Amino acid sequence: MVLELQRPRPIWQIMFSTHHTDIGLLYTIMSVAFLFMGGALALAIRVEMFAPGPQFIADSMTYNRIFTVHGTNMIFLFLLPFASAVGNYFVPIMVRYKDMAYPKLNAIAFWMIPPAAALIWLGFADFGWYAQPPYSMISAPSPAAEMWIFGLKILGVSSILGAINFIVTILKCKHPDLPLSKVPLLGWSFLSSSLIVLVAIPTFAAALLMLLTDRLGVTGFFNPALGGDPIAYSHLFWFTFHPEVYVLVIPAIGMMYEIIPRFSRKPIFSHSSGMFAFILLSIVSFASWAHHMFATGMSFTEKTVFMVGTLAAVPASAMHVFNFLATMWGGRAKYSAPMMWSVGGIALFFSAGAGGVVNTAMPLDFITHDSYWVVGHFHLFVFGTIAFGSFGFLYYMFPFITGRMYNELWGKVHFVLVLIGAVLVFFTQHILGLYGMPRRVFDYPPFPEWIAMNQIQAVGAVLLGVGMTIFLVNLIYSSAKGKEANMEDPFGLGGKYYYPYQAKNPHHD
Amino acid sequence: MKNIIGLFMVLSLLVILPTVEIVFAAGDEPEQYIDRRVEIWNLFFRMMTVAFVVGAVVSGTLIWLIWRFRESHPKATPTKYEGTSELDR
Amino acid sequence: MSGHSNWPEWVYIGVVVALLAWVGAEAWNIERIVEHVPENAEVIKVTGQQWFWTFEHADGTVEKGELHVKKGVPYKFEVTSKDVIHSFNIPDYLVLMDAVPGRINTVWFLPVDEGEYPIQCREYCGLIHYNMRGTLYVEGGA
Repeated sequence: MVLELQRPRPIWQIMFSTHHTDIGLLYTIMSVAFLFMGGALALAIRVEMFAPGPQFIADSMTYNRIFTVHGTNMIFLFLLPFASAVGNYFVPIMVRYKDMAYPKLNAIAFWMIPPAAALIWLGFADFGWYAQPPYSMISAPSPAAEMWIFGLKILGVSSILGAINFIVTILKCKHPDLPLSKVPLLGWSFLSSSLIVLVAIPTFAAALLMLLTDRLGVTGFFNPALGGDPIAYSHLFWFTFHPEVYVLVIPAIGMMYEIIPRFSRKPIFSHSSGMFAFILLSIVSFASWAHHMFATGMSFTEKTVFMVGTLAAVPASAMHVFNFLATMWGGRAKYSAPMMWSVGGIALFFSAGAGGVVNTAMPLDFITHDSYWVVGHFHLFVFGTIAFGSFGFLYYMFPFITGRMYNELWGKVHFVLVLIGAVLVFFTQHILGLYGMPRRVFDYPPFPEWIAMNQIQAVGAVLLGVGMTIFLVNLIYSSAKGKEANMEDPFGLGGKYYYPYQAKNPHHD
Repeated sequence: MKNIIGLFMVLSLLVILPTVEIVFAAGDEPEQYIDRRVEIWNLFFRMMTVAFVVGAVVSGTLIWLIWRFRESHPKATPTKYEGTSELDR
Repeated sequence: MSGHSNWPEWVYIGVVVALLAWVGAEAWNIERIVEHVPENAEVIKVTGQQWFWTFEHADGTVEKGELHVKKGVPYKFEVTSKDVIHSFNIPDYLVLMDAVPGRINTVWFLPVDEGEYPIQCREYCGLIHYNMRGTLYVEGGA
């Protein structure tokens, strides 16, 4: 039996189901749909920025809305739900339990997302995904702003419900014969990220409520005219969202912990290092939030504290890189699509982290703050690391969900196009930032260097678009007409490998 | 391995010494003000040197691992875990 | 499962921590140097608002959208905003400081080379954020 049944079932049976594999499937389809919608917005941005002057977007308000929804969508409607998809499929199996701890709550957490997504997309707010006041309070138009606020409120609740489910499933529902230290690292990654969510998200929920009441004129939390401080919002926001970026990356690293050892045909170099690194990262992630605020007028001492907190998180990530490299050493690796994506993700993970270290060196923030360097930096993380790991894992899950194989050649073509495209776009953005180009700009003065680098990015973006289209076609076509997979060993790794989702596996009842 | 550590130590020393010099050299009198552009860009380029050296080591290692331990390499041998029933976790 | 006796991992972590300590120390030092405002720096009040910059010199002269300074004289900017958060940025001189309503942020610099340099806004502030620009004119020392 595969994760997903090969014989067709009525769609309403899947939609109303509370079983973890069905909910995993719903999360997968929804998140991938939003990936492509957000990607279309990104392509629009990069094509518009090809040259100075408007290309096809008529005014800056439309452009501002596009980058706001692009960012909001990608984080909350693609990355987070895709991680939930993987967690829903695998966490119960990895702890040898029959479902998640609270199946009905699981379904509710999922079904909260489409209405929230509708609010975000139909509202199409323009204040950037941070919603920074005072702009978001006094200047951003209604009803877009309120719809965004309500949409994110709902998503926050959904996240917390999901986190509770993962934590209880892993800690309380795991099989009595399975010690926590033997739970696979993918399971540990969900435990860590869920613990972060539980601690971090409520702060943002508070900030959203305060922003709403400020907009309504009832309060003045962030309004200097009423004695408030806009920087208070920044603290609340970043206290949530710096740890939140680790919530995004930790499951992707967990996914790589499934792929890289398996495709190298040997176990992970050090399971205990992986566990330790996840827990350490979860804790230290709370010590660095104000590095996003270095330009707001913080004192030297404050900035130093947060620089140290940021640097302290690097060794944990470095441990993961070491673990992956040491696992590959001495292996016999098959570079099917999942492996290519995971290994490519590791390479870009390093460059993303290195760029981050530059940002946190306090004086260098005067060069990089709110410039295209930052855009390149975070995209190397969310796209180069997390999306790469996610695509690799999606290819890996494919035979288990559908019973068929995707087209391997096109999977590799997808990888090559996207790797080249990502380098052209995101590495160039670092240099463009050094030349001083700000982010969130609809247009720019005709400096020759800025024009050249924007044009390189547009080419890269088109390559990304072509690669991702190939991916979409591969997924859809292969689901219907792909070759039937050998369910004993879909990837031809040989031998008897521990596929945790086979019915014959005694670990899953 | 030892050479790399030695290289790092030499590089570190080479960058710390000029910095210490600047610290004690800056003053408040006219014509002794520091130029923030120079200070900041210098730090940036020193960090870039280190980042690219480390990056070359990490990516070089990764590329070598991909090349040497691919299944189609002539010297590829099965790992001792192949044929067993479980990847020892 | 590997135990704790794998020395390569410990050496690796040692190198990583040493590098990060170096980064932190260097950054701390340069920041300390850069933030030290000279005693006799001339004050210029910078006010950002949607979507232009206003400058008030120490002698009371007000300039809008352009700023004239003298080469070799240190200037201290006191930056604030009248409405939303902006960010005062002279990229060629690495001057960058948020303009936040309700507070005054300080940043100083020394204009070293004569010429014209762009001034831009580095924090999203709405419709014309992309064109909230100005020009810095550095003129020969008097």
